[in-house]
Formats: sequence, structure tokens, C-alpha cells
Amino acid sequence: MLGKGLPADEASQRGRDGGISLDELLASRELFEGILGIAADAVVSVDQSQRIILFNQGAERIFQYTAAEVLGQPLEVLLPTYARPGHSRQVERFDHSPVPARQMGERSTIRGRRKDGEEFPAEASISRIVVGGRVVFTAILRDVTKTREAEEEINALNADLRRRATQLENANRELEAFSYSVSHDLRAPLRSISGFSQVLFEDYADALDEEGQDYLKRIGDASQRMAQLIDDLLDLSRLSRGEVRRAPVNLSQLAEAVVADLRAAHPERSVEVDIAPGLKAEADPHLVRTVLNNLLGNAWKYTSRKDHARIAFGGTTDSEGQPAFFVRDDGAGFDMAYVDKLFGAFQRLHGMKDFPGTGVGLATVQRIVHKHGGRIWAEGAVDQGATFTFTLQ
Amino acid sequence: MTMKPILLVEDNPDDELLTLRALKKNHIQNDVVVARDGPEALARLFGDEESGTEAIVPSIVLLDLKLPKIDGIEVLRRIRNDPRTRLVPVVILTSSREEQDLINGYQLGANSYIRKPVDFPEFIQAVRQLGLYWLILNESPPG
Repeated sequence: MLGKGLPADEASQRGRDGGISLDELLASRELFEGILGIAADAVVSVDQSQRIILFNQGAERIFQYTAAEVLGQPLEVLLPTYARPGHSRQVERFDHSPVPARQMGERSTIRGRRKDGEEFPAEASISRIVVGGRVVFTAILRDVTKTREAEEEINALNADLRRRATQLENANRELEAFSYSVSHDLRAPLRSISGFSQVLFEDYADALDEEGQDYLKRIGDASQRMAQLIDDLLDLSRLSRGEVRRAPVNLSQLAEAVVADLRAAHPERSVEVDIAPGLKAEADPHLVRTVLNNLLGNAWKYTSRKDHARIAFGGTTDSEGQPAFFVRDDGAGFDMAYVDKLFGAFQRLHGMKDFPGTGVGLATVQRIVHKHGGRIWAEGAVDQGATFTFTLQ
Repeated sequence: MTMKPILLVEDNPDDELLTLRALKKNHIQNDVVVARDGPEALARLFGDEESGTEAIVPSIVLLDLKLPKIDGIEVLRRIRNDPRTRLVPVVILTSSREEQDLINGYQLGANSYIRKPVDFPEFIQAVRQLGLYWLILNESPPG
């Protein structure tokens, strides 16, 4: 095999230093034993009667026998007791097989037995070679105990992962059942509160003075507001459950559509909106629309005190040079001292009277951005407007 | 011509009262038969010898989804599977707007799906439109 591919004349050429020929070298016992000696695998040869005739250092290491102990012994000493009869049958089959040698690389896993009786898994390839009319079987074995242990460890870890995934799925299902219950059961009493305060207002208005009627109105408004809170909370939890389905998104077009909706809803407002053209991203179109709805909606809301407001949507880069997008307004702004409260659910930096809201919008935006693996941050000053910048990678 | 009754399937007594009030406020004159859980709704629709309930043929079924014993989705399934009630208009009137409920409702052949608004004037408005559409504008299936 070693000489394969070498031209015949080169193989027979004498070395320049007058040493032996390549043929002689390849046939030499020193080379043969030298190679066997450094092999990490066990090399074990037996003759036709299954007596061990070759046992290299690798085999000594793996089987813990010295060569002297096993040479001349039947091969079966290296096999677990239970595997011995099966082995003999296999050898017989192999011996009569028309194929001269099992292909190298076609490895099978067998069980070996060390001197101390310990069994171990080994990958083996076996060949049948005939030299000068004598048949020699050679097995090259690799102790795969460590590999097997590693595999078992991986299997155990995988099983553990599967268990955890199942637990997570269950937790998610419970969460869904909870959301469902919230959606249905919390709204019902609110409907009663709102409904019957309205009934009182309609049927018993005469019995109530203006103050009493005002209280009733407050009850109705509060239940309405709580209904909105529940809906926002549900949307937020639905967001956490959903997956991000990325697709090419034209953010500029999306922003135009959102602004068109805002203009239609508030035709009396005078707002100059500057949208940079051609801003694109790979993101979940539905979720990104929610981001722009909230950010542009906020910009719209927090500039409502201004006769002429300005809002901008544009592209920039973050500190690492990644593409980022911003929404800027010149409205009420906020105190940077509270910037870390901005993205918390139900956190509000403005009174209901000034700017109504449930405090879920920016929490929703942040969750969407995080689900995309992006970041969002804000800069602003009181009455100086605000800028929200986000990435989607 | 006598008006066929409305079957209101609703387990919450407050919602029942408010719905009845909303129907009255909107001058909907049909009798309203109320069923307070799934089995009662089915007994009203198909009759029940044991309790001596006679089957009614409603002009419309207003169906809540979350009901004791047999839920609204199952009631809807049985309505659509029975030749006597297959064509009866069914409007789901519920608190939920969970996607799965909407899908189930429409898949099983609900004619409409209305989420009960918390705001009562809005609720009255919804019932008004519902009555106007299903009891006046819409031509009922024969039978």
C-alpha cells in the first residue's frame, strides 16, 4: 500500500547514500514494527486457527495484556465470555466470504475485554490478508469508551433539554389559559360596572345632582380605562408568545402609512412629518408596524400641545456602525433622569390629564426590538422633544 | 306574522340584564328566551322531554362562548350539525377576542362575532346594529 502510486523504477532505486532499496525498506521488519508501535489503535492479528500472532503496543495499552502474555493464545481471551460463540461463527463466515477483505473504514462496534475483565466498546475494522499462502486476519481496534461516555452525556443533556422544553411548553400553555381567562373573566365585571353606572345615569338621573352624575361618569370612565389596560396587557403577552418572522420591510412606506392613519384620525392637527425615503430592514413586518405605530403615535401625541409640530423618521447608525432608525419629535419630551423608567410596562412620565395612555406602548416597542435582537434607547429633555432610536439586528 | 324569539345564551346575570336592556332600548320587540348554560341552550333548541321543554325556532341565537357544562363552541357545533337548526343565524357575543375563538367560531359557521364592549353606550350601539341587521335587514332562511 505504501508504494502505491510510486513509479516502479523509483521504488526499486537505491538510496543516494547507498542504503537499501525502497522495496527492501517496505518489506523490512523495522519499518513494519515501527509503524505498528506508534499506532494509537490496537492492531491484533491471528492466524487461520485464531491464535494471536501479532499484538502491538496499542493493543497492550488497550487490552492491558503484554504481547508475551497473549501471543499464541486464542483470540477469544480478548472478548467478553458471552461474545465468544458468536465470534467463532462470524469468523467462519468471514473465512468463507468471497470478498477478500472487509473494506477499511467500514467500521463496526464490538465489545472487547481487558485483562482485568472490564468490558469496553471498540470500533473495529477487520481484514483478511493472504501472504505466501497463509491467511492472516487483522483487527484494528479503537477504544471508544470515552466517546461513548461523551455520547451518553450528550444524550442525557438532550433528554434534559427535551424535558425542559416540555416544561416550557406547558408553562406557555398555562400562560395562554391565563391570558384567555384574563381576557374573558376580567372584562365581564367591568362591563357590569360600566353598564349599571350607565343604567343609574339613565334611569335615576333625577335622583342625582350634578356631582353625583359626575361620580357615575368617573366610574364609567375608569372601567373603560381598565378594559383598555387589560387589552394592552394581553397584546403585550401575546407578543412574548409569538415568533419573529423576518421578511424584507420598507420602513419608510410603513411610516408613511402610519402617519396617514394619524392624519386621518386628527385632521385638525398641523404636523410636519419628514420621513427619509428608502429605509429598509429584515424584520417581522407585523411587529415593526406595531413599533412604528407606537413611536410615531407617541410623537404625534406628545406634540399635541404645539400649534405646528415637527416629527422625523430617519436612518442612522449605532455606536458599532449597525443600521439604526430614529423617530424624533419636538414635543413635550421627558426628563432624562427618568429615562430608565420609560420602557417599563405601566410606567408613565406624564399625567393622564396631559397625555392619556396606559403606559404599555414603549414596553411593547422594547419587547419587539429585543425579540429582533436589537436595542432601543431614548434621548430627550422637558419641552425639547424626544428621540427614540432602535436597531433590528 | 308572529316574530320568532331571540335565544340569548348567557350565563352572567349582569350581562343578561344589560343585553335585555340594550334590546329594549333599541325597540327590538321579539321575545327573548334566555338559556344560562350549554345544556339549557340545547334543550331550548332541540326540546327536552325530561324537563318538558319544547323546541323553539329562534330568529337568531346570541351565543356567549364561555358557558358552564357545555361551552358555546360546542353548542354552535351542534346547532350546525342538526338539520333543524343548521340555517339559524348565530351571532357570537363574547368577551374574548382570542384568535383561536374567532377561528373556531367562524370555522363552525358562526354568522357574526361580536366582542361585547365594556362601555355600555357602545354595547347598546352594538346591539342596535345587530338587531337592525339580523332582525330587519337580513332575510331569514326559510323554515
